[in-house]
Amino acid sequence: MKGAKILLVDDEVVFTDNVTKLLTSRGYRASAVNSGDSAIRLLEKENFDVIVLDLKMPGMDGLATLKEIKKIGLFTETLILTGHGSIDSALEAIKLGAYDYLTKPCEIDELVAKIEGAWEKKDDQEKKDIEEKIHKLVESPASAFDLFPKNKKKR
Amino acid sequence: MRNGFQATDNSQPNGSEKQRKTHYSRLFRRFILLTIVCSLIPLLLVGWGINIHYTRFSNERMINAFQIQVEYHRKIIELFLKKHSSKLHLIAQSHPKDYLLSGSNLNNIFEILNREYRSFTDLGIIGADGYHLKYIGPYDLMPNNYADTFWFKEVMEKDLFISDMFMGFRKVPHFIIAVTRLEKGEKWILRATIETEVFRSLVENVRIGNTGEVYLLNTKGIFQTSPRFSGKIMDKAPTPIESFREGINVRIIEKHTDHHGKKYPRQIYSQTWLKDPPWLLVVKQNYDEAFSEVNHANYATLILLHLSALIILIVAVFITRHMISVIKNRDDEADKLNRQLLQTSKLASIGELSAGVAHEINNPLAIILTEKQILLDMTNDTAATTPEIKGQLSESLEQIDVQIKRCKRITHGLLRFSRRTQSVIETINTNQFISEVIELLEREAGSGGIKFFTDFEENLPNILSDPSQLQQVMLNLITNSIDAHDDKAYGSIHVRTRSNNQQGVEIVVADTGMGISPENMDKIFDPFFTTKPVGKGTGLGLSICYSTIKNLGGDISVWSEVGKGSEFKVFLPFSPPPHLLEGTADNPKDYQMDIATVSS
Repeated sequence: MKGAKILLVDDEVVFTDNVTKLLTSRGYRASAVNSGDSAIRLLEKENFDVIVLDLKMPGMDGLATLKEIKKIGLFTETLILTGHGSIDSALEAIKLGAYDYLTKPCEIDELVAKIEGAWEKKDDQEKKDIEEKIHKLVESPASAFDLFPKNKKKR
Repeated sequence: MRNGFQATDNSQPNGSEKQRKTHYSRLFRRFILLTIVCSLIPLLLVGWGINIHYTRFSNERMINAFQIQVEYHRKIIELFLKKHSSKLHLIAQSHPKDYLLSGSNLNNIFEILNREYRSFTDLGIIGADGYHLKYIGPYDLMPNNYADTFWFKEVMEKDLFISDMFMGFRKVPHFIIAVTRLEKGEKWILRATIETEVFRSLVENVRIGNTGEVYLLNTKGIFQTSPRFSGKIMDKAPTPIESFREGINVRIIEKHTDHHGKKYPRQIYSQTWLKDPPWLLVVKQNYDEAFSEVNHANYATLILLHLSALIILIVAVFITRHMISVIKNRDDEADKLNRQLLQTSKLASIGELSAGVAHEINNPLAIILTEKQILLDMTNDTAATTPEIKGQLSESLEQIDVQIKRCKRITHGLLRFSRRTQSVIETINTNQFISEVIELLEREAGSGGIKFFTDFEENLPNILSDPSQLQQVMLNLITNSIDAHDDKAYGSIHVRTRSNNQQGVEIVVADTGMGISPENMDKIFDPFFTTKPVGKGTGLGLSICYSTIKNLGGDISVWSEVGKGSEFKVFLPFSPPPHLLEGTADNPKDYQMDIATVSS
């Protein structure tokens, strides 16, 4: 696998364009959407390694989007990137299961470092999950049936 | 942070201060006036009223007493005269003339009369022809004929006659009592001379005080007894005599000068007419002496009255002064509170605004930063451009970077000021904590010739607060203090800790820098207020200190004098406001805001 698959969610089109460009040039597979709704719609169809999420957006805001993402239950890590000065909402996001937060404006290198961290965590989580499932399967093969409906739903 | 407080020393005279002073002095005058109206005037009115009443009452009493005295003296004199005339009457009526003339019978009677005390000078029997038939006494009066004397005619008509004082044949002031008896169709007279000394001492020996005198006058105004001061017996009295009147007449004679130029003080004067003989009994005394007791009491009460009025006035002045100072203190406190409230609300609204602005600026900044990064990437990737273009480009990009960072510092400072920060409450050992902050800064300050002195209270209780925010505050305050020594080669910074009233700790950072001018005092906690050159300070340091300390439930105040230095006093409660303590446990410490110093 080459670079991580990243989804940028931010209402600032120029910003998402630029960051996509920068991340792509650094070898990541980045794409962007400009609202929480479209992010959720996209996530129904496609999985990403890391989601970079802006907190303050018109319509569905960052926290609501994060909740939705968690509801879907994907193997993905969310990184909060916000110009919003409120650390309270950032901490709230972390309580909801976000990986970390960054405040705008931030250097691309900072962002990349955090993305790497998030990606690693996501991979670990995935591996752990698979190991757990295998372990379970070994212990009680019947539970294999449980895997199917879930897999079916997933894709 | 800003701190190069310019030492402009134009502390203008405060107009409102002056106004307030006149306000208080007006209030003072009004209170005093009110006290006078409400307590002094009634007191004086009642006092004066009682005094006047009392004076009149006691004057009446005095005059009454005087009247009684006069009455008493009159009675004594009348009794004396009556007694003696009765004796003569008795002798004349009970003894026939022949008996009295024969042998030593009259002599025996004379001796009996004077046995008790000598009240008769002589005794004689005079016939109708005016010659003495018999005479017992020290003078040789036998050859004298009385037929033409004034009293002889009187007594022949009236049966009883008491004469005025007269010189008579013996040339001594004396008076006589004569009675008649009709015996066998012929009148004869029993005449006696009263021992003048006895009678006069009866009147003259009456002593009333130092200035009082008692004397008798006849109808022609001739002294019948020697008065103590006014003249001599048989002299004419200087004052004209009034005609006969019943009863006792008491009056006050005002100060006057008689026709000889003799001055008389104010006198109380009382007179009464005796019935027989028609003599005027006069009793008088200087008014001042007679009324000295009354006057004395009067003066005493008046002095007491005015003294109490004075005391009330003094007490009123003191109480009013005290009241005014209490009111003034209250006003000052209210003013201070108002100013604080104003400052707080001003800073709160500025905080709201700043947070919005900072957020809105952060987004474009983020875009600019990404644009810069794209350009930088491109410059690095392409080799096509000439070295000059590449050099200029990278220089420009670097500058963009610097300026973005500057903006970021401002926006982050603003956001911090607007208190959009999460507090992480921990137990802090204040002394140790401050020592660490000072250690951080000591190297920087030392190079500027600035020395640190610490004065820590031993066993200072620990406090519950946010160490990272506090560190920020202390760093800001101390860097400010260091910077305040801009133009000085040497200086010192004193950091003091004290426990305060069992409520918290007090941290004082005092410097020997340039101080803050009075007109800047109100503004130093305002965001973006700075006296530093452009680009050197954001003007946020102290505002962040202020909002942070307020947020932690504390207080910050400043004292400063231009040229001498400034002193920042931070009060921190032992425990922060309850809402900061909530959820302390589940706030992971890792996610506190980065505490990069918002250094200038």
